[in-house]
Amino acid sequence: MKRRDLLRAAGAATALSFLPRDAEAAWARIAAGYRAAEGLTAAQRSLVGGIADVIFPRTDTPSATDVGVTDWVDLIAAEYYDENVRAMLVAGLNAIDAQVRSRSGRPFAELDADAQREIVGGLDAPADRSTVEARTYSRLKGLVVHGYFTSQRVEREVLRVRTVYPKFDGAADHRPGAAR
Amino acid sequence: MTRRETYDAIVVGSGISGGWAAKELTERGLRTLVLEAGGAVTMNDFVEHVRPHQMKYRGYGDPAAMRRDHPIQRECYACDEVGHKFFVNDNDNPYTAPADAPFRWFRGRQVGGRSITWGRQVYRWSDLDFEANAKDGHGNDWPVRYADIAPWYSHVERFIGITGAREGLSQLPDGEFLPPMEMTVVERHAREKILAAFGGERVMTIGRAAVLTQDHNGRQACHYCGPCERGCVTHSYFNSIGSTLPAAEATGRLTLRPNSVVAEVLYDPGTSRARGVRVIDAQTMQDVEYEARVVFLCASTIESVRLMLNSTSPTFPDGLGNSSGTLGRYVMDHHYGSGASGNMPGFLDKRAIGSRPNGIYIARFRNVNAEQKDFLRGYGMQGGSGRSGWGRGGGMPGYGEDFKRALIDDLGGWRLSASGWGETLPDVNNTITLDPTVKDKWGIPAAHLDVRWRENETAMDNDMQVGVAEMLEAAGCTNVRTHGSNNPPGHCIHEMGGARMSKTRDEGVLNQWNQAWDVRNLFVTDGAAMCSSACQNPSITYMAFTARAAAYAVDAMNRGEL
Repeated sequence: MKRRDLLRAAGAATALSFLPRDAEAAWARIAAGYRAAEGLTAAQRSLVGGIADVIFPRTDTPSATDVGVTDWVDLIAAEYYDENVRAMLVAGLNAIDAQVRSRSGRPFAELDADAQREIVGGLDAPADRSTVEARTYSRLKGLVVHGYFTSQRVEREVLRVRTVYPKFDGAADHRPGAAR
Repeated sequence: MTRRETYDAIVVGSGISGGWAAKELTERGLRTLVLEAGGAVTMNDFVEHVRPHQMKYRGYGDPAAMRRDHPIQRECYACDEVGHKFFVNDNDNPYTAPADAPFRWFRGRQVGGRSITWGRQVYRWSDLDFEANAKDGHGNDWPVRYADIAPWYSHVERFIGITGAREGLSQLPDGEFLPPMEMTVVERHAREKILAAFGGERVMTIGRAAVLTQDHNGRQACHYCGPCERGCVTHSYFNSIGSTLPAAEATGRLTLRPNSVVAEVLYDPGTSRARGVRVIDAQTMQDVEYEARVVFLCASTIESVRLMLNSTSPTFPDGLGNSSGTLGRYVMDHHYGSGASGNMPGFLDKRAIGSRPNGIYIARFRNVNAEQKDFLRGYGMQGGSGRSGWGRGGGMPGYGEDFKRALIDDLGGWRLSASGWGETLPDVNNTITLDPTVKDKWGIPAAHLDVRWRENETAMDNDMQVGVAEMLEAAGCTNVRTHGSNNPPGHCIHEMGGARMSKTRDEGVLNQWNQAWDVRNLFVTDGAAMCSSACQNPSITYMAFTARAAAYAVDAMNRGEL
């Protein structure tokens, strides 16, 4: 067997056999609609998804919600954060929601695209970064970026991440948009 | 009821040192029993190709499981969401430390030990290191010099495969290298700038690593997937389960017994020899005794010392082989992590492709040819360069289509960073003892670790930051920022000392052959034997000493001396 075949065999075996099965099962449950008891409310999920899709809108590549970023944020809130951090996130989302409603009289999801971008723009470049709204947005943005770029679809279709390489090239030419 | 079996040799531990003892002893004709406290590991346990989306927490880790099972181990970078299986359960394996002297003991109990998760960096020591204690009076004089160990470095390197570049440095001797991994375009640029700025005194080279850059001894070349610490299905980096243990197995003289917690070395006062070991079966909790003509302790620095301290008798009430009173003393680790990082302008038309499981190394330059600084000895530096890619997005202003496109297409600028790995002076007050009250799951007294950084280490840490920063600036970096380290002892996972070698029996536990002065058929060949820490990663030195000691032991047996 040639080296290339061995590598391919190793990669295939890894993909099929060595998955952490509890993780696969957990994501299958989430995809089927499971929500943890400590997860976000429907209104909070709507706000998270709305902001996430302003950060990463659908273009020639998927949007944030296309690749399940809302579920990812919900999981982190429910199961990864401890009680204090979860409470801060929830309180911050509620504060953003209250701010949106006080200005427009409607929840974020019901605003038109321009209004949504204006709100996210204000959160992204706030006059005061210490407000609960600004801090919550900053935390949420980090989660959105991580959840988006680690999703299976973005890894495969957008970044075209490879697992194995025949060599390490420390000075490869870089062309924007080239496959990784 | 105690069961007994007899072998020619017993090796306690199956990791980096234990694997080498097993290989050398079996290849030299001895029926050898290797005892491993943890369970077996198979290829199906390796998880290096698992992608983040295949992990429930996308690589963040399972916080509840980590808090429950790995409250200490999780501080190690390799104890991640899928790799934590290669680290011990802290509840079953307690240890203690003074409240004002925290210690981090990262441990792997499985066949292969910590050789599965190690950092793979391998650097020969030189006479600058073997003569240091004698020259400045800290610690005892090593009973060996570089010339004694150099052939054994070669012996080890030829078998396991080391990638590296020859540099001709006296303080960092070249080895038997496979082709070097490639430096990035930024690292190559920085190397030349630093060489020019510091008159050739400071040399940035590609890391020397136990990773194959070409097929070697039946193992495949690296496929640059990245996280070696999670295992390797192609055995492209050195661990004992992929190379030394299979070599031992091939002789037909190896017996490997997992789930065997060695509780004590049995001493026969009539012959002044180690009779064998008492093992607690980790699953049945039953005692089993094994006897052999020679016993090799390769359980890791703290475990081997703990085992000797727990092996008491009327002859050795303070621990086996402890007539010198030095057992458990002069414990060291490397203090590490202080350094600097900066942005490297330009090179935006270049990128790295592949995940290189290696970085750059800057050889020690302080106190090499003359005393230069307000501290003794020195440090090496490890680091690397890269472009941040989408990972910068969380802290980058922007949103919307242009923001997304920028994170997908634009890799961000280059960053270059390095941190120091510093030598720790051997100090009699840095100790391993047995905790009088705390026991592990198997009823064995826990180790109590009292190891502290002292004035010399602190002064060196400060200089690391300056040393890196001035090199980054010389290389052309901008926005250079220094960083200090608060890593406690143990965090570097380079524990050394506690059963040191010595020229005379009154100043150490082992002679120049890693043989216990008091118990002639007992050998300790892991990090416990070290008299000083140097600043280089120590594992290859353990391997070389182990192979050398095994050859000596078998020759002595053949001469009828053991």
